[in-house]
Amino acid sequence: MVTVRRRQAPAVSTLAINGILVVAAVYFLLPLVWVLIAATKSPGDLFATFGLWFSDSPQAWSNLVGLFTQSGGIFSRWVVNSIVYSGLGALVATVISAACGYAIAKFVFPGREVLFSVILGGVLVPATVIALPLYFLLNGVGLTGTYWAVLLPSMVSPFGVYLARIHANASVPDEVVEAARLDGAGDLRIFASIATRMMSPALVTIFLFQFVTIWNNYLLPLVMLNDTRTFPVTLGLTLWNSQTQRDPMFYQLVVTGSAVSAVILVVLMIALQRFWRADLTSGASKG
Amino acid sequence: MSIHPARRARLTRLVAGSAVVALTLAACSTGSDDGTADGGTPDEPVELTFQSWVPNIDQAVDAFNDSHDHIQVTLETITAGPDGGYATMLSAVQAGNPADVVQLGYDAIPDFLVSDALEDITDHVADAEATFVPWQWQTGVFGDRVYAVPQASGPLGQFYREDIFDSLGIDYPETWEEYYEAAQVIRDSDPDRYITAFAFNQAPWLIGLAQQGGAGWFTAEDDAWTVSIDGEETISVAEFWQRLIDEDLVKVEADFSNEWNADLQNGNIVTWISGSWADAILRGTAPETAGQWAVGPVPQWSAGENVSATWAGGSASAVLKGSEHPAAAAEFALWLNSDPQSVDILTNVGAGWPAVADTSQVASLQDDPEVFDFYGGQDIWEVFAESDAAVDTSWEWPPLSSTLFASLTDNVKEAVDTGTPLVDAYRQTQTDMVAALEGRGISVN
Amino acid sequence: MTTILPVRRRTRRRPALWALLLPFVVMFLLFFVAPIVYAIVQSTLATRSSGLGFGPPETTFVLLDNYVRALTDPAFVASLGRLLAFSGILVPLMVVTALGLALLLDTGRARAPRFFRVLAFAPYGVPGVIATLLWGFLYIPATSPVLQVLSAVGIDVVPLASGTVLFAIANIALWGFAGYNMVILLAALDAIPGELREAARMDGASMWSITWHIKLPLVRPSVILVTVFTIIGTLQLFVEPLVLQPLTTAISSTYTPNLAAYNQAFSQGNPNLAAAMAVIVAVLGFAFSFGFLRLVNRKGNRAW
Repeated sequence: MVTVRRRQAPAVSTLAINGILVVAAVYFLLPLVWVLIAATKSPGDLFATFGLWFSDSPQAWSNLVGLFTQSGGIFSRWVVNSIVYSGLGALVATVISAACGYAIAKFVFPGREVLFSVILGGVLVPATVIALPLYFLLNGVGLTGTYWAVLLPSMVSPFGVYLARIHANASVPDEVVEAARLDGAGDLRIFASIATRMMSPALVTIFLFQFVTIWNNYLLPLVMLNDTRTFPVTLGLTLWNSQTQRDPMFYQLVVTGSAVSAVILVVLMIALQRFWRADLTSGASKG
Repeated sequence: MSIHPARRARLTRLVAGSAVVALTLAACSTGSDDGTADGGTPDEPVELTFQSWVPNIDQAVDAFNDSHDHIQVTLETITAGPDGGYATMLSAVQAGNPADVVQLGYDAIPDFLVSDALEDITDHVADAEATFVPWQWQTGVFGDRVYAVPQASGPLGQFYREDIFDSLGIDYPETWEEYYEAAQVIRDSDPDRYITAFAFNQAPWLIGLAQQGGAGWFTAEDDAWTVSIDGEETISVAEFWQRLIDEDLVKVEADFSNEWNADLQNGNIVTWISGSWADAILRGTAPETAGQWAVGPVPQWSAGENVSATWAGGSASAVLKGSEHPAAAAEFALWLNSDPQSVDILTNVGAGWPAVADTSQVASLQDDPEVFDFYGGQDIWEVFAESDAAVDTSWEWPPLSSTLFASLTDNVKEAVDTGTPLVDAYRQTQTDMVAALEGRGISVN
Repeated sequence: MTTILPVRRRTRRRPALWALLLPFVVMFLLFFVAPIVYAIVQSTLATRSSGLGFGPPETTFVLLDNYVRALTDPAFVASLGRLLAFSGILVPLMVVTALGLALLLDTGRARAPRFFRVLAFAPYGVPGVIATLLWGFLYIPATSPVLQVLSAVGIDVVPLASGTVLFAIANIALWGFAGYNMVILLAALDAIPGELREAARMDGASMWSITWHIKLPLVRPSVILVTVFTIIGTLQLFVEPLVLQPLTTAISSTYTPNLAAYNQAFSQGNPNLAAAMAVIVAVLGFAFSFGFLRLVNRKGNRAW
């Protein structure tokens, strides 16, 4: 009786489990498949043919050529801008928030918990609260309209500090720090050469998190940037989307541009996703 | 504000040709060009920035730079004004580092004046008044001071599927009553077909219809605004459309949406009252329907009249307060919108119907087989030239026009969404607008 | 957690501590704290004109007028209510979906779990603006294969009608973040020691009871984290309605508090009122998140 149930249950539930996962997979894929197919169509066919199959006259190549030659090839510039904003912003954010989180975890100083709470509070502040006042502040020092106006604010990740602190607590034993100090190593060197290595899964997580946050950010560049040459992809595509009102040709540019930028990011995600091993709450990680 | 591929090819030739002209001119004018404007010289030209969202307007800027060596203009393509462009401009003025010249909708000029963001350019451009259509020129004039140079507007016309009208035996509707009858015939002919889309999302369209019905929403009297968004004329326009909506004779649908595009392509929507620049949109959206369209005047409220309106005004160039070179900036603003070469480029890239009085000089508004063939060989520019002349020019824009746009679309959306009367939407907009103006300390009668 | 160090040596370490702390703290002050202070100051001011409104406006101190104006504006109050409704839809949906998928993958019976993990994570890389543009096409009968197929079998769905649009927006958020949250929860499930599962299995515990009595309690902190993140995310709701707004009668310019604030600041030229609205949203965010943490912390182990 018991054995029979044990043998049957897995078969049925395995089927059910995989069935649910297949449905979920279709759901996650649907818009991406749609946009990839739409990117092969002419503007006319976009509205006139079935969305999940190719039209009779696919023109993926000419759409791509159109995308990369429109306005002097500005699209590739937007992609590069996005990579610069996200890559550089996330790199600096990772370093400084790791340092701060490590310091909060491993040093005793007055106001430590208050500082940590205030930083955590920063996670809760809506982007809309920050963006506009930030514009006035940065305008005061002449930074608006420049790359810095987007880069500098992107380098602050309160969530990164939180992650760094719990991971420093969990994966950098006090004894190791103490031993290194006894060996005469300076605290900065301990952080740079020993702690960062032990915290590396957390650092990767912070980097990825911030990279995607910056890549997806829309409001900050919208407020800060005037010149299309400094735009990231998100802002550029919405600029084109607003121009569909005056020229339907832009529909195809928006669709093809969305497809290309989604592919770039998805490939990046797939490549980086396997590094995402850190458990965000307990600090444990798998190697 | 668009450019059709074929137009672009023609434009390239045009720009190439004019570059030669410009070079020759430059060669002739060296020496006579004393570079007085703000002390710019060919060696050290005054440098200006110009912010606009009109696609391909860089061609006009290039033409200016080619023909002027004491002023050089850098174009910054920005987000369209209502989508955030205006806010960025105003913030830059407040912060003290504005662009020199900016693109500004006629409706936004008062907003910018309220914020004290415009440079008085009377001394630099007043002499050019006669170059422009009077009502467009007046949109930049407050008191007796000039704050903006008009660029282009969108006089309304009615685009319609002539083939469908013919096959159903419908005569062109000269009046709104005939329009209503045509709507019934069209609706009966096909379960999916409507005479037009009721574009609840499009404040400029709604305002244009009210203006064409004889409404004037804002008048400045004795240092205070009289607001009559719920005036008699507007209410009867609203009631007319209410009837069409109630009887399911128009499709309640956002214009420029995916669905609307599809409806234009497959003939589910057979007319569109829109600005002169819409010709390129139709040709781009529904290339397969070439030859089947035509353009006529907007239907009239009284037979025999000829009243037209615009797609909520038009666009101008203005000099922002804080510009370091207001004289040079004004010179550029004036050239951009009056020089025949520039006006031709602007018209070509789809900026709209030019604000200059004499459009016979504008090459792109002359015989154009490419455009006319799409409309069965009709000279559609004639219709818009007549429409432009028939625009009721007494319309005034108040401050806070963006609040007006937002409130109007919000209220009209709510009315069609919940099925409450359309006239209530206009009454609510009246209340909202008066409250918004008073909230800013502006006097309302 | 606390490192007890001799006082003498602690002072020697001060420079290192500063070097580690200061870069972040300075950036945080400049780009987080300063703008918030500025916003609070702005929210107590108002610009007023006179007469026809032409001529320089003057800025006056009005204390709480902007807050009163925002909170007495029925449209803004309605947008706050809508936000609550949206949270009510999305938060449970998100947590249940992410947790459900993570637990299914963690049973070890799924085929190609790595593949699924990558696939579910992929939408996280698609920016909200672009995701909304894509779903915008899928929500309109003329371009949506899904709606066309449904309509062919007699089901007519109008995702952008006023009754359904909140779900349509929730769906976009779910699509974008469910996979991401699932990965967070999977990492927590991975961290459960194998011996614990093995021991339970030896004791004859069923799959359900292992899930219920072992896995869920152990990943509770991560579930709480995901919940708080989702709450914060819903309070920031902005991009999706902004992009969908022109397509439907159901989304007004004050649909969410952030959209209202954005419109006040960016199209209607009233940054003071916008600042007040944004501060109200921020305060709500704090209240919500801390309220939730308080609630769960009282019941058991601390989340953070």
